[in-house]
Amino acid sequence: MKILIIEDDKKVAQALKKGLESERYDVEVAYAGEEGFFLLNAQKFDLVILDLMLPGRDGLEILMALRRQLDKTPVLILTAKDTVEDKVIGLDSGADDYLIKPFAFPELAARIRVLLRRGIDGQDLRLRLADLEIDLARHAVTRRGRLLALTAKEFEIVEYLLRNRDRIVTREMLAKDVWQETQRATPLDNVIDVHMARLRKKIDEPFSLKLLHTVRGVGFILTERNP
Amino acid sequence: MSLRPSSIRLRLTLWYTLALALIVIVFSVSIYFFVKGRLFQQLNEQLDRDYSSIAIEVTEEPADLRNSEPESPTRLFRVVQGKNVYYQSGPYRKAGLPEILDSLASRYQTVRSESGKRFRLATGMTKNDFLLIVAQDEEPIRMTLRTLFVILVLALPSALILAVLGGYVLAARLLRPVAAMAKKAGQISAENLSERLPIENPGDELGKLATILNQTLSRLEDAFERLRRFTADASHELRTPLTAIQSVGEVALQEELDANAYRDRIGSMLEETSRLTHLVESLLLLTRADTGRVLLDRKSHNITKLVEKAVEDMRVMAEEKGQTLTANLPFRIQAVVDEGALRRALVNLLDNAIKYTPEKGSLSVGLKSDDRGLAIEVSDSGPGIPADQRGKIFDRFYRIDNDRSRDIGGAGLGLAIAKWAVEANGGYIELESKEGQGSTFRIVLPR
Repeated sequence: MKILIIEDDKKVAQALKKGLESERYDVEVAYAGEEGFFLLNAQKFDLVILDLMLPGRDGLEILMALRRQLDKTPVLILTAKDTVEDKVIGLDSGADDYLIKPFAFPELAARIRVLLRRGIDGQDLRLRLADLEIDLARHAVTRRGRLLALTAKEFEIVEYLLRNRDRIVTREMLAKDVWQETQRATPLDNVIDVHMARLRKKIDEPFSLKLLHTVRGVGFILTERNP
Repeated sequence: MSLRPSSIRLRLTLWYTLALALIVIVFSVSIYFFVKGRLFQQLNEQLDRDYSSIAIEVTEEPADLRNSEPESPTRLFRVVQGKNVYYQSGPYRKAGLPEILDSLASRYQTVRSESGKRFRLATGMTKNDFLLIVAQDEEPIRMTLRTLFVILVLALPSALILAVLGGYVLAARLLRPVAAMAKKAGQISAENLSERLPIENPGDELGKLATILNQTLSRLEDAFERLRRFTADASHELRTPLTAIQSVGEVALQEELDANAYRDRIGSMLEETSRLTHLVESLLLLTRADTGRVLLDRKSHNITKLVEKAVEDMRVMAEEKGQTLTANLPFRIQAVVDEGALRRALVNLLDNAIKYTPEKGSLSVGLKSDDRGLAIEVSDSGPGIPADQRGKIFDRFYRIDNDRSRDIGGAGLGLAIAKWAVEANGGYIELESKEGQGSTFRIVLPR
C-alpha cells in the first residue's frame, strides 16, 4: 500500500512517515504543492494525506486538479483549519476524510485503515481476541465461555476495541465513534476513563491474561501481546 | 470639503450675528421710513396751514397783495390769475422755482429749484378763481433724514461688531467645559483609564455628556481589566502544561532509564499535550464566539432526548462519587437549537455540578415548560456559591476556590462556554444558590 504525504512541516511529515512505515505502508513525502502534484501524476498511490496550507500550490487546488482528472485516489485532508466551513469546503472539493491538527496518530492510522478498506469491509457478527468473544447477533460478550454482564455502553466499547484489536484507540476516537460526540472540548475524557476502569474490572480482573491496557498519554489498547 | 466653519464657537457666533443683523436691518429700515413719513406729513400740514391763511387774504382782498411790498412776506407763495402771475412773494421768487401757471395733478408735489434745492408745493384754486401755490423748503427734513440715515448706517455695524465680540467671548465661556473635556479625553489612554473627565455643572447638557462619557470610560476600564486578567490567566494556564512537558522531558534525558520508563515519561508529556490541546480548543471557541464566527446549525430537536443522553453520559461520574443523579423529564418537548452547543452547555453544567458536590451528595436534572419558555434545571446539594461570586462564575478562568478547583481539574472555562452556548441559542442561564444548600443552574430557552 503506497501513501503520499504532502505536508510542508518537515517535522510533522517525518513523524508521519515513520509512524506509517511502522504500520508497514510504503510512504513518499512531498514538502511543497508542486512537488506533490508532480508525484501524483508520475506514480500511482493508494492514498494521499494532504495539508491545506502549502507553499506554492494550495492543497485545495491540488485536490480539485486531481478530481478533474477523474482520479479517485482517496484523499485525507490534514489541516489546522478547524471551522465547519473549512471542513465542508474540503469535503465538497472531493476529500474523503478531514482530520484537524493537532491529531492523535492512532486516530490517523485508524482513519487510513477505514479509507483503504472502504467497500470490502465484511461485517463480522463474531469478533474475538484470545478467549474474549463478542457475538453481535446475540448481543453477548463472553470470556473463556463465561457470559459477562456489560452495560450497553460497555458493550459498544468492547465491540469498538475488538474491531481495532492490537491497535491503540484514543479517547477522541472513543468520544467520536462510541459517544457520537461531534464537538471537541467537551469534558468526556473523565467519563471515558471511568468506563474503561469498570470494563477492565469485568473483562480482565478475574483472569490472569490481561487484554485491556492503558497507553499513557495516548489511549487504550486491546491486545494479547505485551504492549 | 465643507465650507462650514469647523468650530462650534465660530458657528454659534456667526449664526446669531446673522440673526441680529437681520433684526437690526429690519428695525432700521422701519424707523427710517416711519420718520420720513411723519416728517412729510408734518410738512404737508404746514403747507395746508399756510395755504388756508393766504387763501383767506387772496379771497377777501386780492388787491392788497399787489400793493404790499413783495419782499416783506416770509412765506413762499404765488398767486396766478388766468395764465399770468398775479403776485408772488419775494422768497418765492428768490427760490428759483420752475414756472408753474396751471394747477398741478396732485395737491402736493416736490419740485427742484434751479439751484437743485427741493421744495414741497401745495396748489389749489381759491373761491375767486385764483391759482394759489404755496411752497416750503424740504431741506431741513432732508437734512434730518440724512442724519438719521448716517446714524443708522454707522450704528448697525458697530452694534454687530459688539455682538460678534460679545458672542464669541460668551460662546467661549459656555464651551470651556468642552475644551477641558477634550483635553482630558486626549490624555486618557489604556495606561490611565481610571481617570475621568472634569464635570463643571452636572445638571446642564455638557455635564450630562461628560457623565455619560465617564460611564463609557468606566465600562472600557472594566473591559480592559477583564482582558488583562484574561490574558494573564490564559498565559498561566498555557504555561503550566508547557512547563510540565519541558521539565519531564529534560529530566528524562538526564536519566538512564529503560524503555518502559521512557515510555512512561513520554506518556506523561503527551498527557500535558492533550491538556494543552483542550485548552487551546476551548479558548479558540470562546474567541470565535466573541467575534460571532461560530456557525450554528439550529434545527428542531427533541430536547427531552438530548437531556436524557447528556445525563446518561455523565451518570458514571456521579456514580463514582456515590452521588445520586435523578432525572425528572415528565414530557417530550421539541425546540429549535444547535444540538452540539446545547449538549455542550448541559454536559459542562453537569460536569461542574458533579465536581463540586461532595461524595454521596445528590443531583437532579429537571425539565419545565411555561410561558417564559423551556427550562432545563441542574440542581446539586453542593456547598453553594457565595452571593458575591455569582456574577463572576461565568467569567473565563474564574474559580471560586483556586486550590480546590485546580485539584479537581479543568481550566475554569466550562461555565463560560456553557453561557455562550445557551445564549447563542437565544436563551440564558439563571443561577439560584444558597450557601451550604446547593445550587440550581437553569438553562432557559425560548419556545
